[in-house]
Amino acid sequence: MNYDWQPLLLTFQLALIVTLILLVIGIPIAYWIAFSNNRFKYVFETLVSMPLVLPPTVIGFYLLIAFSPQYAMGHFLESALGLKVVFTFTGLVIASVLFSLPFMVNPIKAGFQNFPTALIEASYCLGKGSWETLWRVILPNIKPALLTGVVMAFAHTIGEFGVVLMIGGNIPGRTQLASIAIYNEVEALNYQTAGVYALVLVVVSFIVLFLFYYLNRRVLRIF
Amino acid sequence: MNKLTGKIVALETSPHMSMVDVDVDGDVFCSIVLETPASAAYLKQGQPVTLLFKEAEVSIGKNLSGLISLRNRFKGTVKQLEKSPILTKVFLEYKKGQVVSIISTRSAQKLALAPGDEVEWLVKTNEVSLLNEV
Amino acid sequence: MINLRLKRQMQTSRGPEWIDLDLSMASGGFVSLFGKSGAGKTTVLRMLAGLIPPQEGRIEVDGDVWFDSGRKINKPIQQRKVGFVFQDNCLFPHMTVRENLAYACLPGHHDGIQEWIGLMGLSGLEGRKPHQLSGGQKQRAALARALVGRPRMLLLDEPFSNLDRQARLELQDEIMRVYRKTRITMVLVSHDLWETFRMSEMIFVIDRGRITKNGSPDEVFVNNDLSGKFQFTGEVLDICKEGVVNILTLGIGHQITKVVAGDEEISDLKVGSMVIVAAKAFNPLLFKI
Repeated sequence: MNYDWQPLLLTFQLALIVTLILLVIGIPIAYWIAFSNNRFKYVFETLVSMPLVLPPTVIGFYLLIAFSPQYAMGHFLESALGLKVVFTFTGLVIASVLFSLPFMVNPIKAGFQNFPTALIEASYCLGKGSWETLWRVILPNIKPALLTGVVMAFAHTIGEFGVVLMIGGNIPGRTQLASIAIYNEVEALNYQTAGVYALVLVVVSFIVLFLFYYLNRRVLRIF
Repeated sequence: MNKLTGKIVALETSPHMSMVDVDVDGDVFCSIVLETPASAAYLKQGQPVTLLFKEAEVSIGKNLSGLISLRNRFKGTVKQLEKSPILTKVFLEYKKGQVVSIISTRSAQKLALAPGDEVEWLVKTNEVSLLNEV
Repeated sequence: MINLRLKRQMQTSRGPEWIDLDLSMASGGFVSLFGKSGAGKTTVLRMLAGLIPPQEGRIEVDGDVWFDSGRKINKPIQQRKVGFVFQDNCLFPHMTVRENLAYACLPGHHDGIQEWIGLMGLSGLEGRKPHQLSGGQKQRAALARALVGRPRMLLLDEPFSNLDRQARLELQDEIMRVYRKTRITMVLVSHDLWETFRMSEMIFVIDRGRITKNGSPDEVFVNNDLSGKFQFTGEVLDICKEGVVNILTLGIGHQITKVVAGDEEISDLKVGSMVIVAAKAFNPLLFKI
């Protein structure tokens, strides 16, 4: 049997990139939500969590509209920056980042909110600003929350279907992810190929989550 | 702790000490303190004060005769006795109130103290503290 | 001179109340803010540190204005250079003792670390993480960390309250030693009469956000109406009835003494009560040592 590994590779590539981007933008977003006194932070907090409740197709639909070259923003992106979003890998990344945002932000936000205020105050009293306090005091102490965010975002991106189908389409080698490939194979009655894809996803997901729980208990507790 | 209230009626002072006479219902008590009117403003005639002295500083005498250096020497009536192996607590009726004395049980037996006995109770001047009644 | 004029609303178990006080203290002194919990003393300390702003008022330290609501001045906490020792030790849990101290130092100014580790009796423990230390060791490390950056004053917020008696006395001695050596301004917040009395030069008694009494420990705590010259403050450690009297064990300074007392004298005392022990000056016997 000759399997096409492209959809699986593309899935993991996407998950990795999305997780890295989410880590970089998730920390400041979570920090702002956790520590800001701004009245609008609740609006923002709600928006971040919207993907948890909305059907993926709703998000996919709005993104498709937003980025489609027929509408203002998509047109601007394409004509001014030469950036094609719809039915491209870039589109998949943008959609996945938005869709997995709560999975990264919420655990980190909880980590920040549960962090003892007194330790932050102690750091300020020692003459350190909020940036240095974040890097040297808070983040090293909320590693479990960071790891939870990373694993959840990664795992959730692997498991995406609706959003990526809407925005990415189903272009083999470019936007066809494992979850979509499985659907295709089943539709074409290629149960064996679908089974192999599915098994790989199950095994990899199991390993990732297993390592996460193992590390969380055994290693990260010892600081 | 025994507490009696009275009024300062006389003062005799030396550079660091005072002998204070305090009138309690007609009896005059003496107290020596390491204060003078200059260091403690309440040391003045007519000032109401409370006399404080521990029970164990109160001695009891029956049929006392001869001279004794103790200046604070007053009549009282034994009201009640509370005995323990070593010490005995003697409750005395004095004026309108009560004075308590703690003496050794041996002495209590030697004096054959019993409720109703008329006795004299004594306390040394240097054992009496003064508390300013504001 | 340190001048504080502070107004701020606080939430208490009795509902909202106002802190409204005005106090001055000499720099280089040991000052205590004494009062019951909920009196507002910690809030005052936090306003001085810059952890929270007063709603109205002015904070001036040696001519330097840290806060002035009228002129909209609020010096950030990082620039106030205060050392703060919290009730619960606030050592960073992921750092060793040495790393905690190093965190407080400016880059390249790590020379004081070893000295403070030695002074606080932490030699041999510098490689340990906070969870490997006893309560007393943690507070000593927190004290060292607060001091290693050479603050201009040290603020102590109930630093002894979670320690056992022995550790508490040790830490008090440690702080007094530091104070005598450095003459750094110390501001202690405490609800414990004994430690306040023992350590402070000047005491402000705070009740419901206001200063009710202030002065030297003697002026504030000792009943000057009593003529006894032989007078100490102590803590009741044990009460034991023996026949018609009671034997009280008292902690006075570092000494344990026993005193005989009548029933009515101890009627409102219990273990932990603070007492003034007074005797006529004629009674004590003296022996040369």
